[in-house]
Amino acid sequence: MGKSFTGSEILLESLRRQSVKVIFGLPGGAVLPLYDALYSAGIRHLLVRHEQAAAFAADGYARVTGKPGVCLVTSGPGATNLMTGLTSALMDSIPVVALTGQVPASLIGKDAFQEADTVGMALPSTKRAFLVRKAADIPSVIHQAFEIAVSGRPGPVLVDLPKSVLMETTEPSYPAGAGADRPRRLREWNEGEVRRAVDMILESNQPLLYVGGGVISAGASGELRELAELAHIPVTTTLMGLGSFPSGHPLSLGMLGMHGAYATNTAVCHCDLMIAVGARFDDRVTGRIDGFAPHAKKIQLDVDPSEVNKNVPVDLALVGDAHETLQALVAEIRRRGKLSVPPERHQWLQRIESWKDEHPLAYDKYSSIVKPQYVIEKVSQIASEDAIIAVDVGQHQMWTAQFYNFRHPRTWLSSSGLGTMGYGFPAAVGAQMAFPDRQVIAFVGDGGFQMTLNDLATIVQYRVPVKIAVVNNRSLGMVRQWQEIFFEKRYCDIDLNFSPDFVKLAESYGIRATRVEHRADVEGAVRDFLSDREPRLIDFWVDPAENCYPIIPPGASLGEMVLGPPRFLVEEEVLDDLWAV
Amino acid sequence: MQWLLTLESDRDPIVICRLMNIFRRKGLTIETMTLAAKPEGYSCVTVVDTPGTDIDHIFNYLRSTEGVFNVACYRHEPSSAASYVFVESNANPESISRILETLPGSKIIFASHGKYLFEIRSEGRLPQSISGLGEPGFLPLSRVKTSRQRSQMELVGAISS
Repeated sequence: MGKSFTGSEILLESLRRQSVKVIFGLPGGAVLPLYDALYSAGIRHLLVRHEQAAAFAADGYARVTGKPGVCLVTSGPGATNLMTGLTSALMDSIPVVALTGQVPASLIGKDAFQEADTVGMALPSTKRAFLVRKAADIPSVIHQAFEIAVSGRPGPVLVDLPKSVLMETTEPSYPAGAGADRPRRLREWNEGEVRRAVDMILESNQPLLYVGGGVISAGASGELRELAELAHIPVTTTLMGLGSFPSGHPLSLGMLGMHGAYATNTAVCHCDLMIAVGARFDDRVTGRIDGFAPHAKKIQLDVDPSEVNKNVPVDLALVGDAHETLQALVAEIRRRGKLSVPPERHQWLQRIESWKDEHPLAYDKYSSIVKPQYVIEKVSQIASEDAIIAVDVGQHQMWTAQFYNFRHPRTWLSSSGLGTMGYGFPAAVGAQMAFPDRQVIAFVGDGGFQMTLNDLATIVQYRVPVKIAVVNNRSLGMVRQWQEIFFEKRYCDIDLNFSPDFVKLAESYGIRATRVEHRADVEGAVRDFLSDREPRLIDFWVDPAENCYPIIPPGASLGEMVLGPPRFLVEEEVLDDLWAV
Repeated sequence: MQWLLTLESDRDPIVICRLMNIFRRKGLTIETMTLAAKPEGYSCVTVVDTPGTDIDHIFNYLRSTEGVFNVACYRHEPSSAASYVFVESNANPESISRILETLPGSKIIFASHGKYLFEIRSEGRLPQSISGLGEPGFLPLSRVKTSRQRSQMELVGAISS
């Protein structure tokens, strides 16, 4: 007879076999047996101050490593507090394994203390949810959870663990290997479809690669670059795709969509072939569907067949892993030996350059007021090339997407699909735990930061050297912008002047902090804070009237961009209107 | 437009709950549904009304759902080209007898709670005599797509004829 172990011990051994190095969590009654086993388990645990932060930190960890991030919470409110983070991970296809405590099995369904129908609530927020019924099932469930999290289209998986199961003893039997090491990714395309795709590419005069987060998930940035350079195709990325193609590359067009650049959106309107790779034609990208790439044939490469024709009808779909599919396309192009650039392709690239010159992304670089774009550009210039950037949600998120120079994949953390405020700082914590020696910078708005700043305690407790740049415009800036532009400046409930002094608050946690209110002080402050090996915060007081342009109004197409504010408005008028109560 | 969806799942009520939630969220109008269970798992047969432009996405979404497998999609085929028939025998108990008499060799793919899905083996064409166009509880179909790998079509829960 083998040795018996408790469910808690079996769970921790199962996690070790999945190469889990760190768990983000917060204990409670239902998981006390597990925390007792964790005491001497040799797996690092980061105590957060709200379970939502545990989910965001696990998400951030997963985005930078490509491996599942793990969070652990107690039953009832602990589990319900995870749901926002899991929903965000599902929307962005991020592998997260969430472990939730549950009341003892005999009490399930009887409205016990801190009981919630966790699995029921998790159904629309996860790829799969398991309720473990006996300790002997733990190894296979954990193995499955990790495999599902990384297979096909990655996403979050929840495992609900009754307290009685954690305390039960049994002889475990572990599956071989780690589930996350063997992701299942079906290939559904055939060689004929690859040849047809290459026919379309080589026949097109004005092609465009439209790239999303799927390229990063698949580790296909190298293959993407090879295809773009071989076939001379300009590349635009979604918010999720930033970093998949170097921002400074001559073929890079940056982000498209609602806040995409003029040249980028115009290129979309005029392309005759759009190759979508790991992107889902989200409404923030397409604008009005009938105006999205209206003259283009479309090829869609995606690992998830349900994304094909979901929002936009395409002419050809190649369902499978982006890495393998792009490799096949490159190999076919090389096989045909057509490596010279046709004149029409040259003209297309020159046209795009002229659009860039016509309306570049711009802001008032000479203003005495600190412009948020200036802060972001300065950080981009000074930070190391492999710095990891996390953002919260709002105007600062869009400005970072527009003005930060992303050179590598897995250096950008953004709650893109769900757009969850409060994401940025805890996600940065998760990323820093994965790469303790890299620069990790969180750009957060004053609104979103106030949702999760309680984890300032966490970064001090564990000496996590995250750098926090608060882009402080004393308002819910993106909401204010929409109220200004689309609701005739009827500003309602966007005033965040009644916020804490972030410098004093950070200092009360033991974090060195600075406020910057003048343009001349920005560069020095950034250099100082990035060179520090401890957590730091800078509260950048930026222009509260600055808006994010271009913007595509709701219901409009990509060709109907608003490029800037009406000329007749002067700054003082906007500020007066803004603070009128 | 009417479609019939069939699928099988792990024997896990969580997966079935997820399926129901998917049907709700995707806005499918469910006209009839039946679930059957056996030790090896569950099967579900549903007649839905949804535009043809959505059915590809629904099919792909279902077959990509964890715990769900062997998804098949059938289109309402109001002509003799139909090669499948879905019958709700509680509408007309004589329908089953008629099919079995007129089409010997027809194969029951699914049977549960008075609902039957037949594969018609009559040189691939449904005789006019029982095409039953417009007859209540009788839905002729042609199969559009399936994710099933094996040639066996019977669903878990089917009762052999």
